[in-house]
Amino acid sequence: MSDFPVKEYPFTIHVPDADLDLLQRKLDSTRLPDELELDGSQQWTYGTPLSSIKRLVARWREGYDWRKSEAEINKLPMYTRDISVDNFGTLNIHYVHQRSNVLDAIPLLFVHGWPGHFLEVRKLLPLLTEESADHPSFHVVAVSLPGYAFSEAPTKPGFGAPQFAEVFNKLMISLGYEEYVYQGGDWAHVLGIRAANMYGGRHIKAWHTNCPITKPKLSTILAHPSLIPRILASPFVKDAREAYATSKRYLSLECAYMKEQETRPQTLGYSLADSPVGLLAWIYEKLVAWSDDYPWTDDEVLEWVSIYWFSRAGPAASLRIYYEMSHGGTGDFFHGTQWIPIPTGVSYFPGEIVRLPKSWTRLLGNVVYQVEHDQGGHFAAHEVPERLACDLRKMFGRGGPAFGVVPGRSGYSLKKN
Amino acid sequence: MAAATSTEESFKLAIPDADLELLRKKLDLVRLPDELDGAEWDYGVPLDDVKRLVAHWQEKFDWRKSEAKINELPMFTRDIEVEGFGTLNAHYVHQRSEVDNAIPLLFVHGWPGHFLEVRKILPLLTAKSPDHPSFHVVAPSLPGFGFSGAIKKTGFKGPQYAEFLNKLMISLGYNEYVYQGGDWGHILGLQAVTHYGHKHIKAWHSNMPLPGARPSPVKNPLIFLSTVLSAFSQEGRANMQRAQQFAQQGTGYSKMQSTKPQTLAYGLTDSPVGLLAWIYEKLVIWSDKYPWGDDEVLEWVSIYWFSRAGPGAAGRIYYEMANGGTGNALDGNVWQSVPLGISYFPGEVVRLPRSWSHLIGKLVFEGEHEKGGHFAAHEAPEGLVGDLRKMYGKGGPAYGVVPGKDGYSA
Repeated sequence: MSDFPVKEYPFTIHVPDADLDLLQRKLDSTRLPDELELDGSQQWTYGTPLSSIKRLVARWREGYDWRKSEAEINKLPMYTRDISVDNFGTLNIHYVHQRSNVLDAIPLLFVHGWPGHFLEVRKLLPLLTEESADHPSFHVVAVSLPGYAFSEAPTKPGFGAPQFAEVFNKLMISLGYEEYVYQGGDWAHVLGIRAANMYGGRHIKAWHTNCPITKPKLSTILAHPSLIPRILASPFVKDAREAYATSKRYLSLECAYMKEQETRPQTLGYSLADSPVGLLAWIYEKLVAWSDDYPWTDDEVLEWVSIYWFSRAGPAASLRIYYEMSHGGTGDFFHGTQWIPIPTGVSYFPGEIVRLPKSWTRLLGNVVYQVEHDQGGHFAAHEVPERLACDLRKMFGRGGPAFGVVPGRSGYSLKKN
Repeated sequence: MAAATSTEESFKLAIPDADLELLRKKLDLVRLPDELDGAEWDYGVPLDDVKRLVAHWQEKFDWRKSEAKINELPMFTRDIEVEGFGTLNAHYVHQRSEVDNAIPLLFVHGWPGHFLEVRKILPLLTAKSPDHPSFHVVAPSLPGFGFSGAIKKTGFKGPQYAEFLNKLMISLGYNEYVYQGGDWGHILGLQAVTHYGHKHIKAWHSNMPLPGARPSPVKNPLIFLSTVLSAFSQEGRANMQRAQQFAQQGTGYSKMQSTKPQTLAYGLTDSPVGLLAWIYEKLVIWSDKYPWGDDEVLEWVSIYWFSRAGPGAAGRIYYEMANGGTGNALDGNVWQSVPLGISYFPGEVVRLPRSWSHLIGKLVFEGEHEKGGHFAAHEAPEGLVGDLRKMYGKGGPAYGVVPGKDGYSA
């Protein structure tokens, strides 16, 4: 491992015994609801099925070993760092930082969304940092968003996209990565647009998203008249119609959590902070609904939910991003964003929750790379890490559309074999 | 006096000690979230309110005392058959007036309401006087709420609720009666009069007048025109702004309950503070500066906490009535010719133009109030009862609507 000149402050998770004890006592006093009689295919119609929850709670009470998870997670190179944010004081930010053996690896910032977290980078890490003559390597920084996992949360209202982007950029710069690339989906996609707008060119040299949603603005459409015929043709294009249908279904049937989180995160927060089974059901519903037949194991789910349960700011804090980004439900997430001129890469996964017609992707930015997959859902890095890593390698590798985008950091060793 | 059928039983609340103990244990283990500086009500229920209520719940609130007082009400249970759903056990308050020919009145609650919303209007409605009519009052817990049995299968919708309610009244010997409700009580009232209007329901009253559809310029030209004109009045504009604000910021709970009530149920069933916050938010936001006492709030929430079907079951009415979020609970309702009375309370959540009340049914009475909100029977009992007395009393537009039961002593 090469010497890294910047001082970092290692972080290990150690949940206090008292917290584990409280969780156990709560689990032991769990009171479950009833459920309507539903046959096989209807199980999920009203929400997370009782049989799944019973099984998961039983495992959580007896069998699932948090200390074992904790020890494994602590093998990751984790750190914390104080980052000052204009008008919000200093936030202590938690992140994973894995360097490649390749000195000139490409610095990559990986950002998660909701109900995701920093561990979504876990499977990608060895793939992205691995040295090879055949593909580029990356130095990977995976940040916990403020209010998630072991990052501090902001304490006052108004922490929105510019503030998140400021945290990302300051973190990378503080690690000596003046120029870097960005990858994310879910909130990381929406925040990525803002980060690219604010720091694109100067700091962020290119970015990749696995959740390419956008809200087309008339001004953007008019600035790109060549796109108009393709956008107008969308209703007549099969894949566009399918995408519409999926998105429509999501918007009418699967979006209630968003409405509540945008408007009354505090009210909802009391249940999620106080009830492990309440938090489990809330998150597990999305893990299943938003993934593409991913074979979640019980321990995998419980570890995932435990990150929320034991988070530094508590589970309620993680909801507030919805409120801030939508101005309490009165505005839209994309407000104030612009078309992105830096090289933009997009991966389309079939299980993604909102799918827009592909012709709309060019309204997002300067798309230099697009690839479509036949497997994988919303949690792409976790579900299909090889595919996502492969996409990044193709985008940033020799002969790829974003090769050499970070000057002096091609991703390849200078040594010749 | 109606002959009791074999399934009617007198009902007294007696929550098992084990249930009280579990609640106490959960309150001891409570884990609260933090809150943003200066948030107040912007993000939801403020932390200070919750902390105060939790402390009160742990140290001062005496459920057994509440229970004893509730048990002073004349409560019963009886089995009601609902086609396709088997037998549901109905819990209800049934208070007869000493006036033999009092008007039978069915009072129906909503969410997050319950049967106890009838409590303050009960003595007023049943009181005997030469100056106003009296009522025999039946106030049930809807299936899945309070102490009525749970619904076990999917598809329990408007017609089923209407059937349940009508059969309850008929089983009590009230073949002809009047209906009063707000919130779901209003929406189910629309269903009830659709199926049982005239034959059984002779008139009805609502304190939450929402029609089945907006006025159409073709079908309802005058109402449509009056709606457009109301945009030019200060009150009209304020109401529209309020309705828009509600649609944008106040509907998270109903979208959740209309689409994923089961996911929501886990937190509400397992966490007393989670349930408290979920309900208390509405008690405060939907009432008209009503001075809720801590005991009052905790008693209200306890009805949900200790309910027979559990607190998560109640939310399913949203799912069933809105077809799992694909429709609207008011869809498909058409104008009904059964005489209708409306009371307008200033604190009601959504206030539509007055002219829209004519879209609901044959409007014969309107009452206007200066004070009171969504929980009218609880917040403004004299106001609500005053309207019912005017509507059904001698000289009123619905006087004598139930043959032989005009509400006065012979």
